[in-house]
Amino acid sequence: MLPLSLRIRGLHHQYDENKVLHDVNIDIVRGEIVGLVGPSGCGKSTLLKSILGTLTPTSGAVETFEPGSSDGQRVTGPGRDRGIVYQRYALFPNLTALDNVAIGPKLDETSYPFRVFNFPAWRKLRAQHRERSAALLKKVGLGDALDKYPHELSGGMQQRVAIAQALVMKPAILLLDEPFGALDEATREGLQGMLLSLYEDNCAARRAGEAPPYTILIVTHELNEAIYVGDRVIGLSQYWDWSGDGFDGPPGATVIYDRAAPVYRPNAPKEYEQFMAQREQIRGAVFEPKVSPKRGQHVDFWEAVAAEPHGIFACDV
Amino acid sequence: MVRAPLASRWVWLLGGISVLVLLLGYSWISHGQQLENPNDTTIPSLAAMLDGLQRAALDEDWLWVDTKATGYRLGVGLLISVVGSVLIGVLMSSLSALEALLLPPLTLAAKVVPTAALAVFFALVGTGTELYITMIVFGISPALTLSIYLAAKAIPVELIDKAYTLGASHMEVIWGVVFPAVVPQIIDAIRLAVGPAMVYLIAAELYLGDEGYGYRIRLLSRRLEMDVVYPYIMLLAGFGFGIDVLLTGLRKQLCPWYVEG
Repeated sequence: MLPLSLRIRGLHHQYDENKVLHDVNIDIVRGEIVGLVGPSGCGKSTLLKSILGTLTPTSGAVETFEPGSSDGQRVTGPGRDRGIVYQRYALFPNLTALDNVAIGPKLDETSYPFRVFNFPAWRKLRAQHRERSAALLKKVGLGDALDKYPHELSGGMQQRVAIAQALVMKPAILLLDEPFGALDEATREGLQGMLLSLYEDNCAARRAGEAPPYTILIVTHELNEAIYVGDRVIGLSQYWDWSGDGFDGPPGATVIYDRAAPVYRPNAPKEYEQFMAQREQIRGAVFEPKVSPKRGQHVDFWEAVAAEPHGIFACDV
Repeated sequence: MVRAPLASRWVWLLGGISVLVLLLGYSWISHGQQLENPNDTTIPSLAAMLDGLQRAALDEDWLWVDTKATGYRLGVGLLISVVGSVLIGVLMSSLSALEALLLPPLTLAAKVVPTAALAVFFALVGTGTELYITMIVFGISPALTLSIYLAAKAIPVELIDKAYTLGASHMEVIWGVVFPAVVPQIIDAIRLAVGPAMVYLIAAELYLGDEGYGYRIRLLSRRLEMDVVYPYIMLLAGFGFGIDVLLTGLRKQLCPWYVEG
């Protein structure tokens, strides 16, 4: 088993009487790109907020893991171990692309007293931060736009800045909340390709015996995107067969689908047959209100990976 | 067509024409009045006003004394109001308890007519410089604080959550993330507050001043020496305009990233 990045245990949530999440359990290992899908109203956002820490679940816990550590840190609020990229970019409007990225290390590594009272040291450190940030922006394809303000950038470019902004923190997990929903098709494909190239870096790190640098959970309503970008797809759904478990009413959504997804290289063509078969399977199991699968019926990711390594588990071969 | 763009030479020409019409119209009315009654001082000619200005600035020391007094009161009043309003407005937008505590009294205070409360201020702080500063601070701070609070409140919560994921402390979120993002709105709110600040100051000077623009205007109006009063009014307008230009320039300088509208 590879080192964990995120662990969710027994997560329940209800708003007043309205039960949203029921006993959600998810393990994500370092280096995975997981697509999280589900019908609208299934509690994807609630789950995401619980991971981000802006919402305290009714019960259950979310834990993150530092590289090389098996002691989970329990999530109690938004923190530097989890990165977030929103659909609407949410960049700091008063900072250039470069400073939008460099603000992370600044906030993380320094404080007001340090910046004021030890100004020479802060200047030196800031130069390093900017260098690091510039390198990262080049990596996401924005080497020419370092000094542009967010309003001068297109949506796709802003989203690249937002991803670099989160990645510079080397978070245990990067959360992408419908990241490409506001972008046009071509831009979206470019960004999906960028995520796939991050995944290639993960595999390269595995082969070199290092910890894969990027762990990503991408929440999307686009099934195609989840299958294409992710090496694993998790389906959250309120439509499952709970009648035998002694509930009076719908207990809320839980993990109904958890399986590996094909791994694509950036710009490699999609294998449509396999792709469409999985797509239809997820559509039927997760999105169809009239179909209520048993809880574990489509949840066999860990058994499958143990039997035959896949994705990040297979990278070292 | 509605909002059809206009060539810039037309913009300048039309603007120039309207100013010219204003000046010529005034001269014509003033000239007519002089023909009717050569001793009239209520509608002085432009030349008489220049003489009046010269009298105020050179023959007497009014202009310097009044500018110093009014300028000092306005400057200190604005400074206190701005510092206090920024501090409270930004903190209110960030700290829910402070918001709950201060929103009701501020909303109420913003509705108090400061000129009506002049007697209260007079009783509380006397007639010194404190009175004028109190008048300005009480007059503009509640509204200024509220508009800064609303602008800061409009910063999306995503930006704040994100700042926490970047390892920011609470103080860094407030003063390193929220505050810089609302500086342009703060400057615009100050621009809007300068007008009322001058109104309240001049009103207080009219009633209780022993120097300053309001005092001089009241004194000379009673003597119908409008050749000085009119230039004083224009100078006040000029100061207001100058402050506005300065603040707009400051905003452009400090916030090159800001797009209006």
